[in-house]
Amino acid sequence: MLGNVLTLGSPFVSPPILAQGDYVVSPAAVLVLCVVAGIGTLLLLPSARETSFRAIGGVILIAAGLIFAALVAHSAAATEGQAVYFWIFSAIALIGAVRVVTHPRPVYSALYFVLTVFATAGLFILLWAEFMAAALILIYAGAILITYVFVIMLATQAQTGGNKARYAGLADYDALSREPLIACCVGFALMGVLMYLIFDKASVLPIHQPPTVQTPIESPLNGATQQLGEYLFKNQLVNLELAGLILTVSMVGAIVIARRRVVDNIEVYEPAPETVTGPATPVNDDPHSIPVVGTDNPRQKAYPET
Amino acid sequence: MFVIGLTGFMTRRNLIVMFLCTELMFQGVAINLIAFGRYHGGDAMYAGQSFVIFVLVIAAAEASLALGLVVLLFRQKATLDADAWRELKG
Repeated sequence: MLGNVLTLGSPFVSPPILAQGDYVVSPAAVLVLCVVAGIGTLLLLPSARETSFRAIGGVILIAAGLIFAALVAHSAAATEGQAVYFWIFSAIALIGAVRVVTHPRPVYSALYFVLTVFATAGLFILLWAEFMAAALILIYAGAILITYVFVIMLATQAQTGGNKARYAGLADYDALSREPLIACCVGFALMGVLMYLIFDKASVLPIHQPPTVQTPIESPLNGATQQLGEYLFKNQLVNLELAGLILTVSMVGAIVIARRRVVDNIEVYEPAPETVTGPATPVNDDPHSIPVVGTDNPRQKAYPET
Repeated sequence: MFVIGLTGFMTRRNLIVMFLCTELMFQGVAINLIAFGRYHGGDAMYAGQSFVIFVLVIAAAEASLALGLVVLLFRQKATLDADAWRELKG
């Protein structure tokens, strides 16, 4: 459940305490907690159960998270001042993520996703990636999520709902999950394996020395954003141009995909029929004259069409 | 967060929420990338951040195309249910 904890654990949960062969948290406990969290999520997913069941699922999930947090906090003797923010942001991000997945209404899923994006941006700031935090908020919460909310507004279907009062305003596909048991088993088995591996091997990782001095890239500018820009344009120039190309292509593709055919509505332009009283051009009595459209030479020879 | 998004993607039947879960997976990956970049320090820090920039670019492009497709599919069948397209199953 707290799947991103120990990827950040190495630089953040205070390095001096990791002795060789000493686990931050026992991997077996992590595995058990993953299973418990999986059961909690399974109960929390939208289904035709009573509200009390889903509430129990939520409580189980929160309990698993708190136990895990307590285990890690217990083993981390010295905590840096910044570690508190890490826990706060992580908790908000994960709770938001779980609610995105388990909330029956799609609009609430989008809103919880905005909350998750903000928490992730906070985590980015803790990792000295301020530009990425701002870019995340701008791009994700600003553009992509707004697009999602608009599409949700446009594509809402009349609700038939189930027979339970809670799901009265929902369509059928929102009220029921699709194979929740297998999905939760697969998902949390993957997470259990990954976290087991991470926690098992975390003790043998070299102790991270947080860079106290950022190595400048031959420039008087020393801010992180400036250095990121210099890195991008010096080392990743081709990738940058390709990214722009991808955006252009996707823009064109989106326009082409969503274009509505308007064949029925276009009025075919027909010029008003002209009333011709006589031949438009002077009549040529020459029988060998070249036929002109609109004129009729009665004495013209009938030439075969070539 | 990646696993939570994965579980949600497999579970939910609403097309829009399914794509929201893929965005959630992108978030998990982005956090991982930046953390790895910072862990290795030096030049790799910016490598991680630039990788996340590209992930964001791909996510935005994919989101726009996916939502266009969702709108089209909705026009076809007037429902957002992923099971409505069950006939596409091989």
